[in-house]
Amino acid sequence: MSSLGKETKYWRSLAELESSDELDSIVAREFPDQAAELSDPLSRRRFMQLMGASVAFAGVAGVGCRRWEREEIVPLSNRPEDYVPGVNRYFATAMELSGVASGLVVSSFDGRPIKIEGNPEHPFLAGNGPREQGNKRTSGSSSFAQASILGLYDPDRSGSVRRAEGAGSWDDFAALVKDQKIDPSQVRVLSEATSSPTMARLRDELLRRYPSARWYEYDPLTTDNEHLGTKMAFGRPLRPLARLDRSRVIVSLDADLFYFHPAAVRYAGDFAVARDPDSARPMTRLYAIESAFTTTGAKADHRLAVPSSEIGSILAELEGAINGATPKAAGKAGRFISALAEDLRKHRGRSVLVAGSKQPPAVHALVAKINHSLGAVGTTLEYLREPPGPERLSHVESIKSLAADMNAGKVETLLILGGNPVYDAPADVDFAAGLRKVKTSIHLSEHYDETSSTCSWHLPRANYLEAWGDVRAFDGTISIQQPLIEPLWQGKSSIEVLTLFTSGDYGIGRGLVRTTFEAQIARGGDERSRESAWRKALHDGFITGTRYQSVTPSRPGSTPAVAEVPAIGPNNIEVVLTGSSHTYDGRFANNAWLQETPDFMTKLTWDNAALVNPNTADELGIAHGDMIRIRLGSRQVEVPVYTMPGQAKFSIALALGHGRKRAGRVGGSVDDGIEGLGFDGYSLRTSDSMYVATGAAVEMTGASYALVSTQDHWKIDKLGKEGAGGYDDRMPTLIRSCDVDDYQGYKKAKNKDLCFGEGHEVKLPLGDLPGRNRSLWQEHRYDRDQKFRRASDGRTVSRSSLYKWGMAIDLNKCTGCNSCMLACQSENNVPVVGKEQVANSREMHWIRIDRYFTGDDVRDDPRVAYQPLTCQQCENAPCEQVCPVGATIHSREGLNDMVYNRCIGTRYCMNNCPYKVRRFNFLHYQNRPERPGGSLEDARNKVRQLLFNPEVTVRSRGVMEKCTFCVQRIQNKKIVAKNERRSLRDGEIVTACQQACPSDAITFGDLNDPDSQVSKAHKLAQPANNPSGRGYELLRELNNKPRNIFLAEVRNPNTALEPPAGSDSKQSSSHG
Amino acid sequence: MSTAAHVEDPRAAFREITEAVCVAHERPQPPKAWYVAMVISLGMLGVLGVSLIYLFITGVGIWGNNNVTAWGWPIVNFVFWIGIGHAGTLISAILYLMRQQWRTSINRAAEAMTIFAVLCAGLFPIIHTGRPWLAYFMLPLPNDMDMWPQFRSPLMWDVFAVSTYGTTSVLFWYMGMVPDLATFRDRAKNKIAQLAYGILALGWRGSARQWHRYERAYLILAALATPLVLSVHSVVSFDFAVSQVPGWHTTIFPPYFVAGAIFSGFAMVLTLMIPARYLFGLEKVIKKSHIEAMCKITLATGTMVGFAYGIELFIAWYSGSMYEQFAFLNRGLGPYWWAYFLMVTCNVVLPQLFWFKTCRTNPWIIMVLAILVNVGMWFERFVIIVTSLARTMLPAAWSYFSPTLWDAATLIGSFGLFFTLFLLFCRYLPIVAISEVKNTLPEAHAGKH
Repeated sequence: MSSLGKETKYWRSLAELESSDELDSIVAREFPDQAAELSDPLSRRRFMQLMGASVAFAGVAGVGCRRWEREEIVPLSNRPEDYVPGVNRYFATAMELSGVASGLVVSSFDGRPIKIEGNPEHPFLAGNGPREQGNKRTSGSSSFAQASILGLYDPDRSGSVRRAEGAGSWDDFAALVKDQKIDPSQVRVLSEATSSPTMARLRDELLRRYPSARWYEYDPLTTDNEHLGTKMAFGRPLRPLARLDRSRVIVSLDADLFYFHPAAVRYAGDFAVARDPDSARPMTRLYAIESAFTTTGAKADHRLAVPSSEIGSILAELEGAINGATPKAAGKAGRFISALAEDLRKHRGRSVLVAGSKQPPAVHALVAKINHSLGAVGTTLEYLREPPGPERLSHVESIKSLAADMNAGKVETLLILGGNPVYDAPADVDFAAGLRKVKTSIHLSEHYDETSSTCSWHLPRANYLEAWGDVRAFDGTISIQQPLIEPLWQGKSSIEVLTLFTSGDYGIGRGLVRTTFEAQIARGGDERSRESAWRKALHDGFITGTRYQSVTPSRPGSTPAVAEVPAIGPNNIEVVLTGSSHTYDGRFANNAWLQETPDFMTKLTWDNAALVNPNTADELGIAHGDMIRIRLGSRQVEVPVYTMPGQAKFSIALALGHGRKRAGRVGGSVDDGIEGLGFDGYSLRTSDSMYVATGAAVEMTGASYALVSTQDHWKIDKLGKEGAGGYDDRMPTLIRSCDVDDYQGYKKAKNKDLCFGEGHEVKLPLGDLPGRNRSLWQEHRYDRDQKFRRASDGRTVSRSSLYKWGMAIDLNKCTGCNSCMLACQSENNVPVVGKEQVANSREMHWIRIDRYFTGDDVRDDPRVAYQPLTCQQCENAPCEQVCPVGATIHSREGLNDMVYNRCIGTRYCMNNCPYKVRRFNFLHYQNRPERPGGSLEDARNKVRQLLFNPEVTVRSRGVMEKCTFCVQRIQNKKIVAKNERRSLRDGEIVTACQQACPSDAITFGDLNDPDSQVSKAHKLAQPANNPSGRGYELLRELNNKPRNIFLAEVRNPNTALEPPAGSDSKQSSSHG
Repeated sequence: MSTAAHVEDPRAAFREITEAVCVAHERPQPPKAWYVAMVISLGMLGVLGVSLIYLFITGVGIWGNNNVTAWGWPIVNFVFWIGIGHAGTLISAILYLMRQQWRTSINRAAEAMTIFAVLCAGLFPIIHTGRPWLAYFMLPLPNDMDMWPQFRSPLMWDVFAVSTYGTTSVLFWYMGMVPDLATFRDRAKNKIAQLAYGILALGWRGSARQWHRYERAYLILAALATPLVLSVHSVVSFDFAVSQVPGWHTTIFPPYFVAGAIFSGFAMVLTLMIPARYLFGLEKVIKKSHIEAMCKITLATGTMVGFAYGIELFIAWYSGSMYEQFAFLNRGLGPYWWAYFLMVTCNVVLPQLFWFKTCRTNPWIIMVLAILVNVGMWFERFVIIVTSLARTMLPAAWSYFSPTLWDAATLIGSFGLFFTLFLLFCRYLPIVAISEVKNTLPEAHAGKH
């Protein structure tokens, strides 16, 4: 990079360069197309700037990215060291959600971030014992982290400073403060929940400088109940970290351990470790007590569906039962509590209880007490102490008192850093009305959203991939949030804007973070050691030794009694508000990937719905798809009904975060006339019942609504379910599961009758005759050294196939969390198709997660099975044989390859695929104007093109596509290995789904290597004469020879609640 | 076959036939009904045009097909039309070889119908592909793209079966028409007609040598076409039978499909000939007895189809394969039970009325039944294709197929194409094989006895 030696301003757009609104409008009038081009942040020139900038810091900083203020962009005359155009580079960073960070590694292709992965080195994600995948450690990531990359390139993000009077600029806003038009000493700041040390430092600075300023923090999916509960129990707030990997018994009380919990990724991994039936360690047992199904309930060995508001009293009874009392509850609940208490007593010191954030503080306090009495602390439970800081109000109290002050006219200046309180504050505090009374209200946000449009100033915020920051993981480990690209839309981060108030000018993010780093972490030492510590922090993506302090609190005394609630029933209906798998708390509402990803339980896309138990629905006289009105006091909301098996009776669950009005062109935008997706649960939410409200009433509206799910609604017709060869008959063969005792017995005695016996195999007539499974064609061979007779001339030839790719998916580990789906979408440029296309079964996901309900009481107490399904890469592929143009063919390594150029779209392959994993581009999905968010051709949407993975073809209309086992990743690693003159090592290639999986349920590798992880997994699959291993090929009877095997689910039921499966008949009936 | 033979002038009967056929063609104005029919047909053809334009602009997503039911109406239509296209060659070739002389009155029209039906059928596999502009990839054309068709695919077999059948049918039809075209040429009054028919008649003079060659060639073509009648629909049925979709994967498909095709083909001939015979005053040529014979064949093939339905159910049960069992249970009693019910009623139950002579002779009843058979046969393909695909092995991938308006528009449009061509044929080409009918008259053999 050379500077031309004069002070040239680094301009970001023509308007800025000319500083002339007039010119802009003249250009727009004269050349409307070119005007769009010029203001389009993605014009070629602009892109070159961005790219050049990335290149620049790569060359200088070496380890990461930084922003360069004044720079000339000229072509490279010398290639910077370590930079090969077209080769991905990886940077560690972190993403914060509700004040908890997850460590990430982001791939950058020629300066643009294109893929997000979990940071495998991160000490919190890796846990204590690193979870090995061959030689390569992987750490999963959440579906939100995977999808957040789409948010970076969201064309609906705000690109300019706006004020109530019209357009503005960053300088205008700075002038507001510099010219003392507002009084910074009276400023009130509302921040979203954050753990950033720099933010805390700036907050303290602000409050020190202006003692009359106020600081508030609000997060709509707050986990404050946990803080308040531990404070009740121990006198100070502590953060419980359950060590699921050490546990023998886990009890989840309304907690979603593997999805919404801030430590979900870690928990999923730990749980997978504790549930391995093939390890020497005894398997853990999971109990779930909850109202609406969570991923935890789906994985639980025993689940008790009770209204959320009754969980407190159940817990109180459980405490009594542990101490020897007989539970008062009758029937199933009573038996459940007694058996659970007995189990907990038996496993003292090896059991742990976890309560969810929806439960009131008293429940958390009681959980802390029971955990203590069970000796969990120090073994299966760790308490972490956040560093002491100023006492903060709880999020609910914060927003309440701020709104009260605003409504009373006491607030002059309000600075809102992130968040969207107008949309997501509790309805009773009337935040919007208060905000209108504030003289100067400023909202820093990525979108011009509900709150921005109510404020007098809107400031565009930089995405976390564009701005420097520092954040803390659940256990407190600090990560430097390292940007990968210059802000696309001139945004600034919270800390940069906040500095304007503390020091009178915008801060430079990197400097602010570095200052905090040097002041708090790399204290002392000379400059060189500080610099190397900084570089190490950037390189690693975390700073070791910054974990919160682990404390052992003393035994809690008496905890406040859990409030008794009137029984939930037809006259006292409960409403439980939950996070949304599509939008989290509403912030991802404009993220089309998340919106189209089916919910982990309902499989709904593009919507939320009121989940109602089917029997309750019958009693209330409502049906699936009916629009109902839920009344709660003076508030009401109209939502469609989704009859959900296993939902607690008379408890209605509704996901928050839908029905946005100003999310963008995907999630709903009043300005563009685009309706919001789903229904707004916040309108029912009050500050005294943030999650669980009772006393609701349900009315019919008479209308109905088309809910769209990717899978048949659970209620299929009688014939489909019970008919010969129907759902019930197939279930045991599709989802194999057995009890752990039987499995261990089988392994010892090789007695195949114990598990996976007769009922788990489809026996075709004549199936055992010799030659029954002979192929019509000469089959492909893939063994390393092989000799075979060539059909054409009958000669014996030998051939060597170096690799034989295979996969194994462990159903026991899969929690159905959807991370793999989003990772695949991101890696493979999978298009979004929109609700009406999903309604017609045209979704494009290459990997899907089938969810099945089984059990004798499907309506009230179903068991859930997840089965991630992707192309099985059959060796004897039925799709290949029927393609008339040879567009799908086998590679020498056994992959079932798609040749898009050859495909003419007869769709015969799709018909002949028994797994239905092929996906067809019925329309030009990328370029349809009807597509959510609009066509890619739309000038406004060009920015989305930057997201594409250049190594994967973007498919056009009329072409078939499907999972390739991430063939681009395979090829990349093969090239590396070839250059190094070696063969690939096991674990070197990681598929996108595998890498994203938090529980390591997916294994991939070379089947020709007998020591590879995947070969070991395949060895669990049955040899032809022993059809009872844990591994099984799906639909083996068709002789497709899939390269993927599933490892059966092994459950660990409590014999007191479920008598052991003695006979085969009992066993198969328990499956379906 | 009895005709009103004129003893006084043995040529009078011949002349009568020529007149009957030619007058329909030569009158200055076709009957009003022809215009009405033509306007309707052209309207429907317009619908096809609009549908195809929209289809090519937008993509096959305009139809109801989805990732579960990848083949929907377009392939239903394809199999339906190819089935219709069976009667013509059967009548021309097989009945010719079997010396069924009654065939002569209808074979020309039936052959024309065949060609138009094959044309409609050929349209669908091409337009139903995702990228129809690349459909030529299916042809074994030498190219520099290193591409070659994949001959294991039944779709490849289809390409050859249908194109061979189409070519042979056209040749057979045209060759058989040459003497009649010469008659038209000789009687033509205006220059254009003289020129056009003159070219088409290929210099036919009716010499004994020409007749000799003609008869030989006709026989050879008939012998060539005969196996095709059986092979085309057998090959089409392989599209299904070779796959492993439960409900498709059955060995009975080839004979079952052939019977069904002949069944629907005859029903379509009846549907067309009954009004045409009336409109163009051909009652003397296409006699009631001919119609009755066709009704009998319809009854026979319909019963065969019914037998096939029964065998299918039996085999599903007897196979012991739960997928097969479920597929057939689902057909009859699942979400598409109504389609199955329609199919059985129209194809098996109603044709049984043809046991009664009154039904075989009343044109109205025949007409209604023939149309219903066509409806039933369309639904047969719908049942086979859609109900099988909608519920295959994995219950998670079950869905319900719903067609769109464009599905219907394309089907209606294909009828528009068919009827338009047929109406043009009725007006401009000899709709009855004049020379062949004459050959069946007693007078033709008078001198030999």
